Amino acid sequence: MSSALVEDTFLADDLLRQLMSVGEVDLLVGIISCSDTQTNSHALHAIEGSFQRHFTRQRAVIVNVCGGDKNESDAAAATGLTNMAEKNARFGQPVALRTIQRVTADFSVPPTPGTALRTILASADLLRARACAVVSPGTNLTPGWIANLLTPVYREKFDFVAPLYTRHKFQGLLARNLLYPMSRAVFGCKIRELYSDEWGFSGRLAALCLNQDVWHEEPIQTRPEAWMAISAISSDLRCCQTYLGQKMQSTATSSTDIVEVFRQAVGNLFWLMESRQAAWLEGERSEPAETFGPEHDLTAEPIDLNRHRIFEMFRSGVTELEPMLSSILDPETHAEIKNIVSLEESEFRFRSDLWVRTLYDFAASYHHAVISRDHLVQALAPLYRGMTFSFLVEHSQSSPDELEAVSESLCVEFERQKPYLTEKWKANVEVKS
Amino acid sequence: MARQRDNLWYKDAVIYQLHVRTFCDSNADGIGDFAGLTQRLDYLQDLGITAIWLLPFFPSPLRDDGYDIADYVSVHPSYGTLEDFKTFLKEAHSRGIRIIIEMVLNHTSDQHPWFKEARSSRENAKRDWYVWSQTDTRYEGAGIIFVDAEASNWAWDPISKSYYWHRFFSHQPDLNFDNPAVLEAMWEVMKFWLDLGVDGFRFDAVPYLVEREGTTCENLPETHAIIRELRKRLDLAYPGKMLLAEANNWPIDVRAYFGNGDEFHTAFHFPLMPRMFMSVKLEDRKPIIDIFEQTPEIPDNCQWCIFLRNHDELTLEMVTEIERDYMYDEYAMDKSMRINRGIRRRLAPMMDNDRRRIELLNGLLMSMPGTPIVYYGDEIGMGDNIYLGDRNGVRTPMQWNGDRNAGFSTADPERLYSPVISNAVYGYQAINIDSQKRTEHSLLCWMKSLIQLRNSFQVFGRGSIQFLKPANHRVLAYVRQFGEETALVVNNLSNSAQAVELDVRRFKGYIPIEMFGRNLFPRFGDLPYLLTLGPYQFYWFQLRRI
Repeated sequence: MSSALVEDTFLADDLLRQLMSVGEVDLLVGIISCSDTQTNSHALHAIEGSFQRHFTRQRAVIVNVCGGDKNESDAAAATGLTNMAEKNARFGQPVALRTIQRVTADFSVPPTPGTALRTILASADLLRARACAVVSPGTNLTPGWIANLLTPVYREKFDFVAPLYTRHKFQGLLARNLLYPMSRAVFGCKIRELYSDEWGFSGRLAALCLNQDVWHEEPIQTRPEAWMAISAISSDLRCCQTYLGQKMQSTATSSTDIVEVFRQAVGNLFWLMESRQAAWLEGERSEPAETFGPEHDLTAEPIDLNRHRIFEMFRSGVTELEPMLSSILDPETHAEIKNIVSLEESEFRFRSDLWVRTLYDFAASYHHAVISRDHLVQALAPLYRGMTFSFLVEHSQSSPDELEAVSESLCVEFERQKPYLTEKWKANVEVKS
Repeated sequence: MARQRDNLWYKDAVIYQLHVRTFCDSNADGIGDFAGLTQRLDYLQDLGITAIWLLPFFPSPLRDDGYDIADYVSVHPSYGTLEDFKTFLKEAHSRGIRIIIEMVLNHTSDQHPWFKEARSSRENAKRDWYVWSQTDTRYEGAGIIFVDAEASNWAWDPISKSYYWHRFFSHQPDLNFDNPAVLEAMWEVMKFWLDLGVDGFRFDAVPYLVEREGTTCENLPETHAIIRELRKRLDLAYPGKMLLAEANNWPIDVRAYFGNGDEFHTAFHFPLMPRMFMSVKLEDRKPIIDIFEQTPEIPDNCQWCIFLRNHDELTLEMVTEIERDYMYDEYAMDKSMRINRGIRRRLAPMMDNDRRRIELLNGLLMSMPGTPIVYYGDEIGMGDNIYLGDRNGVRTPMQWNGDRNAGFSTADPERLYSPVISNAVYGYQAINIDSQKRTEHSLLCWMKSLIQLRNSFQVFGRGSIQFLKPANHRVLAYVRQFGEETALVVNNLSNSAQAVELDVRRFKGYIPIEMFGRNLFPRFGDLPYLLTLGPYQFYWFQLRRI
């Protein structure tokens, strides 16, 4: 009996005791600490600064989820926080009226993002937080960012807030050409950054997500943020986007391995389609998400890209994965892919309709598990490189506005072909052993 | 009796603030008087207070509730005679109650003979007793205090065709303390009352005594010199008497008024008061802890005076704009509740008549460092009348019983100096002393036991304070220590039950004894001491090592 109870709880007694002392809050910001004390300290300052400047009256708590480095990061951050409050007071800056609470969930080893999020959601639920945000210490977080994430929830009653950033026109192409248009077409909500390091959510959404029996799933453990958004969308909760500014990722926390990024983000999206199929199979049109601030902000300064290498990786990858692609892709799609692979670099173009069909074939094959799902997701990477090469060539001179128009037309193409996806999804497929 | 003879008596005192006009009318003219007040001394003795602070009772045009004095050494005829005052003083002393009166040094009424003489001609001998100018641009660094009523600190005198300086209302010209004769005149006034037997003076508007170009005309060294001179004369001629400073400043600035123990004996701790209200509304100890961390040490012979409400607005001068906005939003949504930079409401209405919060705030008042001052009527939870002008809404007649005029006067109701509170919640039929005396669990009886408890331990008046800072920020806990006496006070500032773990390892082995019920609690050990508190509940523990 007692062992069953022990298994049912994942909250440490120490954390629970800290939460008891905090009591009900209006605002909760969760931070998943990294191993770099200075980076954590910067993030904690930004959060505290946001509470001091933008939420002077509210009951606020910071939930710091860390793994094994509690004492060091706590001490560094605590000193800084005190100094900041004193400095604000001295210079007549707004200072929070209430104590800014901080609790630390200390794991013996760094927790997965899923475990960290679950801890934050549980804290939000127990503290009855009205507006919450999760942030990553690895970005150029500012007090204004935190405020922008919390405000739509706290003041406008939204349930999920996705960020928007200023980006270079060739930055974030995975989101631009795959994640955003596909999730928009499938789930019907125009949220551009489903996969991000910071997002906001309501206490209601926290409770809803916390109570889902998904926490053992690998996609949730690695990238739980999009799942939160999709949970909100499929539960008819209110979603919006908020502009944060230019994002600069610290090298310590950014990943450049495209295959790993694919496994985490695209694999996650396919898993979401699988686990949420009841919510999207019958939907047809996408609904706009309210946006606070500019919807897109692209910069276009020249950057140096080795397009030739990208093309070569596409060609060699597709050739190498030929047998696998034949299992995944519809024969017609496969034939077209083989056709463009044979083109010279100067003639190569990956049409958007083919790109959409390719992705839908992959998604359907993921659903039918025609091969190992992990391998399937990885097999998409070379094709994505081909699409990226084509995009870079076609739009090397495009203005930000022109690029936005191209993105929108791609989204429309995804929506137009959605019946194709639905048909493939529902089809009876004989899985090869 | 030992405490009675103690020159530091003000440290142990519980002061009751009242205006003679508001308390009891003995001659049915609708205005309270000294004879009536004397009749009610038994009530105050029974309440347990040890000193009375009387608001101005001197002859005055009463355009600022008596702070516009027209004669410093007499009694306003509405309140009786000097003989009535002497009788009152004698009767109060016979009950062990000390009397503190007002000393308005900074200004007089424009009806005071001194000012009448001064304005009569520029050559008059009293001319230099006030501050005159041919322009209204001097001392521009000085702020305007009554921003709702005055546009300038200078007023034009059409008689002598000059501007005169006034930091408060224009009918209250400031005295010129650069003229030594003014100081001598004020000392004569003090001697007059000291010779009658008063025990202390509350000095009104202390920071503003002297003006200097290029300054804010507040807290100037010359002002301190004047105070030191008066204190020196007082100690020499009248030992054991007390001076209380009204200086609505930050603690660090007020600290200067204690000097080296050679200026004021006591001073109001103005910034603490709004922060007590703020803490209860915010359910967070931060404002209180913050202000105590900004409060410097004071000389051993000095003391802060602390209060919840008084005859003025709940002043929000010593808070930030954000804090002021918060206080307005939470305690004075109706704009007619606001005046100047403050809130003109009484304690009970501000607490929505929530007995638990009223008790908690009084508990804080009686247990935090300083001498507590109880404003008349707050011991029974009297209400206010925000529809009366100025700050008159918190100066309505004392509610003695459910009879006509609340037992305050037998005059026709129309004749009363102010209508009594008669609404359904706070009206005298519901809230009055007689009815609360009959109920063992009334607020009045509870206040009586609270004051009695406070009077039983010197630790509350004289002890040091050390804040415990448990993780639960809704709980305000502190240890008071004085000699062999140690008290632990734990307050739940929130509207919900709270658990708190206190680090009391340094008191390992001590037994906490709950002071109100004299019940023993488990002995302190090595582990954090767990307490649970109901909404707004507080504990006072005497810590004993047996």
